[in-house]
Amino acid sequence: MSNKVAIIASNGGLFDAYKVFNIATAAAASEKEVAIFFTFEGLNLIHKQGMHGLEMPAGKEHFAEGFANSGVPAIPQLVEMAQELGVKFIACQMTMDVMGLTKADFVEDIEVGGAVTFLEFAKDAAPTLTF
Amino acid sequence: MNITKTLDAKGLACPMPIVRTKKTIDTINSGEVLEVLVTDKGALNDFTAWAASGGHTIVEQKEEDGVLFFYIQKA
Repeated sequence: MSNKVAIIASNGGLFDAYKVFNIATAAAASEKEVAIFFTFEGLNLIHKQGMHGLEMPAGKEHFAEGFANSGVPAIPQLVEMAQELGVKFIACQMTMDVMGLTKADFVEDIEVGGAVTFLEFAKDAAPTLTF
Repeated sequence: MNITKTLDAKGLACPMPIVRTKKTIDTINSGEVLEVLVTDKGALNDFTAWAASGGHTIVEQKEEDGVLFFYIQKA
């Protein structure tokens, strides 16, 4: 049985962030080795400023109240928790170049790499998830 | 039952009860028992799966007034 969980985060909304970080932290808390590859809009999720203002999908704004009332942690808190649990963050170099972003735009302790960096981690991971 | 530590995770939503439990169980010794209080209904199945993943044993669980109590013996 694989002890690794590999996640691709390629979307940058609030719902996407919860999907990614809930699975990642749950896996890490269950003794799994976890890596997340952040690419395209997914880079928002670990962007120093961006992660504080992630948007809900258009027309779903009424869920804001549900988030406030259900005890769901804020995304920056989940990001911190994930890193504390040893989840590895890999930011996609190519997307960063396209968007004019540098490592300094993101939370501390991330790796920057290409597709092969992720594939090397994911080759014996089960499951690999894409969000 | 000898309870070594209690974690109050009431009011927390998934995945925080599991995350907090993981962090707390790291602070006790093998064979010791952690008591966890949760109100997240998803915890009922999650704790069983989580304990299995780490080899821990849920020696007892109960529900009182909407609060779930888990007694987890560390592997």
